[in-house]
Amino acid sequence: MTGIEHSTPGILVLLVLFIGPVLYYIRRAREGRKIFVRRIAGVDAVDEAIGRSAELGRPVAFSTGLTSVSPVLYACLGVLSYVSAKAARYKSKLIVPQNNPEAMAIVEDVVRDAYRSVGKLSTFDPQSIVYLSQSQFAFASGYMGIVHREKVATAFLFGYFAAESLILAEAGQQVGAMQVGASVSPEQVPFFICTCDFTLIGEELYASSAYLSREAVQLGSLAGQDRAKLLFFLLIVIGVCIATWNSVFPEAAISNIDSWIRAGYGDWFGGM
Amino acid sequence: MEENYRKTLIKILTFLGGIYFFVEFILPKAVLEKIGVAEHHSFISYGFIVVGSMAVGLGIINLFMVHGSRIIFRRKDWFSSVVLLVGLLVMMFATVSDWRSGLRITSETRKWTLLGEFTEVIEKDFNEKKEGVPSLDVRVNALLESIDQNAQQTSKLLKSKQGASRIPKQEPKFVLAQSYAKQIANMQQAVLSDSKELEASFDTETPDFAPFAPLRQSLDQLGVTVGKFLQLHYEYSGVRQTYNFLFHGLFVSLGSAMFSLLGVYIAAAAFRAFRVKTLESSLMMIAAVIVMLGQIPFYVYIYDGLPLWRQWLLEVPNSAAFRAIKIGASVAGLVMAFRMWFSIESESFADDTPGESA
Repeated sequence: MTGIEHSTPGILVLLVLFIGPVLYYIRRAREGRKIFVRRIAGVDAVDEAIGRSAELGRPVAFSTGLTSVSPVLYACLGVLSYVSAKAARYKSKLIVPQNNPEAMAIVEDVVRDAYRSVGKLSTFDPQSIVYLSQSQFAFASGYMGIVHREKVATAFLFGYFAAESLILAEAGQQVGAMQVGASVSPEQVPFFICTCDFTLIGEELYASSAYLSREAVQLGSLAGQDRAKLLFFLLIVIGVCIATWNSVFPEAAISNIDSWIRAGYGDWFGGM
Repeated sequence: MEENYRKTLIKILTFLGGIYFFVEFILPKAVLEKIGVAEHHSFISYGFIVVGSMAVGLGIINLFMVHGSRIIFRRKDWFSSVVLLVGLLVMMFATVSDWRSGLRITSETRKWTLLGEFTEVIEKDFNEKKEGVPSLDVRVNALLESIDQNAQQTSKLLKSKQGASRIPKQEPKFVLAQSYAKQIANMQQAVLSDSKELEASFDTETPDFAPFAPLRQSLDQLGVTVGKFLQLHYEYSGVRQTYNFLFHGLFVSLGSAMFSLLGVYIAAAAFRAFRVKTLESSLMMIAAVIVMLGQIPFYVYIYDGLPLWRQWLLEVPNSAAFRAIKIGASVAGLVMAFRMWFSIESESFADDTPGESA
């Protein structure tokens, strides 16, 4: 089955249906309604991990891996901001190795803002945001070098990772760092599970920022996207039912949801 | 006040940037073509490349600041920083030299192929009676003069390249380079004699463009052969050898070495993961053992059905988990993108309120 390269009316309808609950719940959260977020062990461990680095007097490393400027980066920034503020408060050294120069500029601003927000701007060292390389394995070797030289006490691996994920996580493991990994790429999740103390899987990375900040927009958005997922679930169930019907009664087959989604403007309105 | 103005400006620009790509994705292709968006889309998308290029500069500045200060103040591991910065500068120099040499080869090739294109333009303009262009005799004379000049320059280049050739004589490429040189000399002779013939016989009053077609073909072939000859010599030049050593010899090899570490790390990680302590780790170990045994040829000595079990594990529970993660992450990513587009952003990491310095 090939992917859809361009939007169809079906996708437009789905977009509206997905975004609707998000807007509704953001509004509810802003009105002060309480929104429940389940416990995420990996996020609960963030405070403990930063505290550990303060106790040991060793640095905290936070890597966004190969993440470029994208929604994933923005999800990571919420956690980075929290970690930076905590590190600043506990006077722990923070190292943020960077792979993408565009992301680096944003990351530097976020860390600076976090230091400023806790009144520790004078302790912010711009050189703690280290650009290593845009090349995947050069970045990995640079990260390994930093982790070994600085003997980091805590390492946060949040963002998009590829084959270098295990190299990064093993480097932390070798120096006995407490590690929290979070990746949206399912292929890398097993590596983090094997190597890190705590792992956030897929969308938990997006939820972590809301969980830490308890901020209305983020909480509302989290609740909204959960409802949007319910819609997805409903579509899957309908699709399974139709596929089952078609396989049991092929003579009375009906077109499935995907054909409805894939139908172009021409199929809907004709002549386009 | 100024801060608010800056925030508003950012929000407006983000919204406008987002709405362009949203509309580009949503509208039917026919409409996009009708309103002219499709035509300019690639040009607008170049904006990303421009921003990306500027950001690379930021990366280099950061490297110089971090490692430069470490060297100046003789901080810990300053010598590694020296190695890094020297490596960076040498690699930059080698890459720029390689790029410039590539341009030089292209320009030598273009010298000839451009004249081929020029013959085509002369003929076309004359047949279409195009106005505002130099007269036919001026253009033909310019063409013939350029052929003459190019021939002289190429002969000099040929001699200098052959004189300073670094291609080892025992290599087949040496023979190939010699044969290219011979071909070029022959082709030049042919082109020069064609041009002389053209000069003698071409009548601008009643022009006959029949000799233009073979001349054009000869000029194109000559350009391509000159390019091949220069490329061959360039491969053995100091610049290329240095670039090859630094990029393919060092950089790629070091990257491969890093990648090969994965093999060892996977074994170490698997060892930790397979320690049966909990129900989850037991299940994971059982699944891993089935997958591994089903993968190897020895499964026939254990149980014939192992590959089927392996396949089922990978295609059913594993795929289901993968898809669940992907769907969840995609929906969350979509929502995050939407929040960014409309600047419905929390203040947790976008706070501009100045705090006190400690």
